[in-house]
Amino acid sequence: MTNQMNPLAVMSTDKAAGWKLFWKTVLARAYPRVVGQQREKSWIFFDIFLPMLAVSAYVFVYRAIHAPEEYIGFVVVGGAMTAFWMNIMWSMSMQLYWEKEQGNLALYIMAPNSMMAILLGMALGGMLATFLRAIAIILLGSLLFHVQYAIGNFLQLVGVFFAAMTALYGLGMITASLFLLFSREADHLVQLAQEPVYLVSGFYFPIRSFNFWIAAAASLIPLTLGLDAMRQLVFPSGALLGFLNVNTELVILLILCVVFLFGAHSLLGYMERLAIREGRLTESRR
Amino acid sequence: MNTSEYLRSFKTATWLGWQIESNWTRPFLFAIYSIIKPLAGAAILVVMYSVITQGNFNTPIFPYLYYGNAFYQYVGAILTGVSWAVIDDREHYKTLKYMYIAPINIPAYWLGRGVARFLTGSISVTITIAFGVLFLHVPLDLARVNWPLFVAALAIGISMLAMMGLILASITLLIAHHFFLIGEAVAGALFLLSGAIFPLDVLPAWLRPVGFAMPITYWLELMRRSMIGNVAQAFPTLAGYSNLQLLGILVGLTILFAVASTFVFRFCDYHAREQSLIDRVTNY
Amino acid sequence: MPKGQVILSNSAVETESLGRIYKIQGTTREKNVRKELMALQDVDLQVKQGELFGLLGPNGAGKTTLIKILTTLLAPTSGRARVSGFDVAREPGKIRPLINMVSGGESSGYGLLTVRENLWMFSQFYGLPSRQAYERIDALLKMVGLEDRIHTKSSDLSTGLRQKMNIVRGFMTDPQVLFLDEPTLGLDVGASRDVRRLIRNWLDQDKTRTLLLTTHYMAEADELCDRVAIINHGRVLACDAPSALKQSLQREALFEITVASLNGLNASVLERQPGVRKATRTDAKGVTALNFSLQEEAALAGVINRLTEANVRIMRLDKHEPTLEDVFVNLVGRSMDEIEKEETNDEPDEPAGRDVD
Repeated sequence: MTNQMNPLAVMSTDKAAGWKLFWKTVLARAYPRVVGQQREKSWIFFDIFLPMLAVSAYVFVYRAIHAPEEYIGFVVVGGAMTAFWMNIMWSMSMQLYWEKEQGNLALYIMAPNSMMAILLGMALGGMLATFLRAIAIILLGSLLFHVQYAIGNFLQLVGVFFAAMTALYGLGMITASLFLLFSREADHLVQLAQEPVYLVSGFYFPIRSFNFWIAAAASLIPLTLGLDAMRQLVFPSGALLGFLNVNTELVILLILCVVFLFGAHSLLGYMERLAIREGRLTESRR
Repeated sequence: MNTSEYLRSFKTATWLGWQIESNWTRPFLFAIYSIIKPLAGAAILVVMYSVITQGNFNTPIFPYLYYGNAFYQYVGAILTGVSWAVIDDREHYKTLKYMYIAPINIPAYWLGRGVARFLTGSISVTITIAFGVLFLHVPLDLARVNWPLFVAALAIGISMLAMMGLILASITLLIAHHFFLIGEAVAGALFLLSGAIFPLDVLPAWLRPVGFAMPITYWLELMRRSMIGNVAQAFPTLAGYSNLQLLGILVGLTILFAVASTFVFRFCDYHAREQSLIDRVTNY
Repeated sequence: MPKGQVILSNSAVETESLGRIYKIQGTTREKNVRKELMALQDVDLQVKQGELFGLLGPNGAGKTTLIKILTTLLAPTSGRARVSGFDVAREPGKIRPLINMVSGGESSGYGLLTVRENLWMFSQFYGLPSRQAYERIDALLKMVGLEDRIHTKSSDLSTGLRQKMNIVRGFMTDPQVLFLDEPTLGLDVGASRDVRRLIRNWLDQDKTRTLLLTTHYMAEADELCDRVAIINHGRVLACDAPSALKQSLQREALFEITVASLNGLNASVLERQPGVRKATRTDAKGVTALNFSLQEEAALAGVINRLTEANVRIMRLDKHEPTLEDVFVNLVGRSMDEIEKEETNDEPDEPAGRDVD
C-alpha cells in the first residue's frame, strides 16, 4: 500500500504552524456556523425579522413622546448595532460554555491551535447572520421611518466602524476567556450583559445625556464611542449631540483595539491555565 | 385528558425547573442579577423619555410606558421559560427523549418548566414597579388598586402567555439551536404590537389590527387599569371597553390560543418524531 | 518522526509521584462544606515509545483523570508528568501538536455537519493540508466501515457509528502519542474487533508511535496491551505485561465452583478453610459462582467437603487459568463488578457532574 492510500502511514508533509495554522483554524471554526445557517434557515425569521420589529418598538416610543426625527435615526442605527453585541455575547462568549458542555472545548484546548483563532472563527462564522440583521434593520428602518442621512466623511465612517468592531471583538474574547471558568452562570451573565450595555452605551439615545463620568466609563465598551462617532458622521445634527469629537473617539477606539486584543491574548492564556489547574475545562456542571 | 398524569407532569416539571433556575449561582449574585437586569431594561425607556421631555415625569404617557414595560417582563420570562426547556433538554441535558418515552404529558411538563421563570419574572416585575414608585414618582396608591381585577387579569394573562409559550415550544421542536433565546426574540417583536410602551394609535393604521388581535394588548391594559385606573383612561385606544369587556376578550383570546397550542403541538410533535428530531443536537 | 521534533528520552510518557486532588463543594444541604477527593496518588509510570500501554481499573479508579493530565487538560496537584519529553504543566504547547485523544461516548463535533465535514474541521485545528486530510479521512472511514455514512449528518448517527467517527478523528492527525479512553464503548463486537485491529496496524506502521488505552474490559487489555497498569482508587497496584501479571498467580490453583444456592453459607467461612487464599462470590441468573484461589490443588477437597456438609448442590467445577480479572481480584480483594456495584449503592463521594474517573 502506498503512503497516499494508507491512512495509517506517517504523514509525508508537514502540518501547518504559526499564522498558517491560525487562519486554518479560523476558517475551520467558521465553517460550522456558515454551513449550519444554510442548513437550518429558521434564524432568518427569529434573528432578522423579529429583531426588526423589536427595534421598531423603540421608534414608536419616540414618536409617542414627539421626539425630534433624528432620534428615530438613532434608534435605527443603534438597533442595527445590537446585532454585533449579540454576536459577541451569544455566539462567541456564550458559545464557549456550550462547547464545554458538548465536549468540544477540551478538544480545542488539546489541539495545537490558538483559542483566539477559535473565537475569531466563531465570530466570523456568525457574521453573515449578524450583517444581514444589521443591514436589514438599517435598510428597512430607514425606508419605513424615512430616516435622513448626511454622510460627511465616508472613509472616516468606515474607519470608525472597523475600529469599533476590532475593539469589540477583542472585548468579546476577553469575556469569552472568563467563560472558560464559568459553568451555568455564563448563561445568566450573558443575559445580564444585554440591557445594561444597551443602556450605558447609548444604543437608543446619545450618551451625552449621561454625565461626563458615566459616559466616560461607558466608553470602555467600544460600541459606545463607535455608535457616538457614527451618529456624528451620518446624521445632520449628530455632531451637536456627540460626546467627544470624532477624531478623538477614533483614537480612543484604536487604543482600545490594542488594549483589548493584547488583553484577550494574555487573559485567554491565563484563564486556560487557571481552568486547567482547577479542573474546570472538562467539568459538566449543568 | 388524564388529569393525574397532567398534574404529575406539571408538578415534577415545576420542581425540576426550580432546581435548574435556582442553583446557578450564589444568592448574592442572584440578587444582583435580579435587580440590575429589570432595572436596566426599564432605565433605557426612562432615559429615552427623560432626554426628550427634559425629565418631565408628570405626563400620563410615562406611567403608561413604565407599567407596560414592567408587566411586559412576564412575556419574555414565560415565553422563554416554556420554550427554552425544549432546547435545554434536547441539546444540553439530552433528556428530551427520556421525557418523551416517560408516561408524562409533554405540554404539562413544558408548562411546569416555565413556572420557575414566572417566579423569577415576578421578582423582576416587583422590583421594577417598586423602583419606579420610590424614585421616579410613578403613581401608585395601594389603597386604590383594583385588587380583584389585578388578580383576575394576572391569572388569565399568565395562562394566556403560557399558551403562547406552548406554541413556541412546539415550534422549537422543529428548529435548530441557534444562539439566541427564541422566547426573548418573540417577546421583543411583540413589544411593538401589544401597546406595552405606547398606545396602539401611534402605530400606522395598517398595523393596528395586528395589535388588536394580540391578547397581550388587552392584558396590559387591564393590568394598568387595575394599578392606576385614572391614568390608563387618558388614552382613547381601549377607552371604549369596560373592564368586563376587556376581561371577556382576554378570556376568549386565551381560549383561542389554548386551542391553537393543542393543534400546533400535535403538528410539531408528529413531524418531530417523524423526522427524528427529538434527540438531535444542532448547536453550531 | 515529524521534522523538528526532539524526543528527550526513550519514554513517550513518564509520571513521577503524580497526584491529583479535587476540591468539591458540598450540595445545598451541606452549604459551604468543601471536601477533597484524591483522584490520583503517587502514580509512577513509564510508557516506552512504540508501546501499547493499558490502564485497567473500575469506574472511578482515576484512569480518565490520568488521561486528562497527560493530554494537558488538567494540571496535577503534585508530582510531574512528561509526554514526549515535555512537561504537561509547563510545556503544554509543545505536547499538543504530538498527541490526540478519543473518549468513549463523546459527543463532540456539530450535529448539523456531516461526518466528513466534522472530521475535516478537526483536521484543520492540527494544520493538516485539506487535500491530505480528506484522503486520510476517507480512507480511515473505509477502514472502520463508515464509508457509506460520509455525508450523513453526525446528529443522525447511532452511538456506535458516532464512536467510529470519533476514532477516525483520533487517528487522522497522525499523532505521536494517542490516548484512547474507553474507545470501544458503544461499539458492537464486530466493530470493537475492527478497532483493535486498527490500533495494532497503526502501531505496526511506525515504531515511534505510542498508544495509551484505558479500559475496564479485562479481555481487551489482555488481548491488546504490551503492558498493563492496574489502577484502583487513584493508585497503581501493579504494572507489567499481562502474561507476567497472570504468571504471578500461577503459583496458586484457581477454581470456580457453580452452585444453585449456598444455603446460608458465607463465602468468608469458605475462605477460612485450610489452603484457601481467597474466596469470592458472584450471584447471577439464579446461580452462585464461587471463585477460589488455593495454595495447592489438594485444598479443593476440603472446600468441597464443607459445601457438601452444608447440603450445597454443586452444579459445576472448573479449573481456571488465571486471567487479568483474577489478577485484579487478587490485588484488590474484590472483582471489578463488585466494586462498581458497591460504589453505585454507596453515597457518592462528590456531586454528579464532577469527572473523577
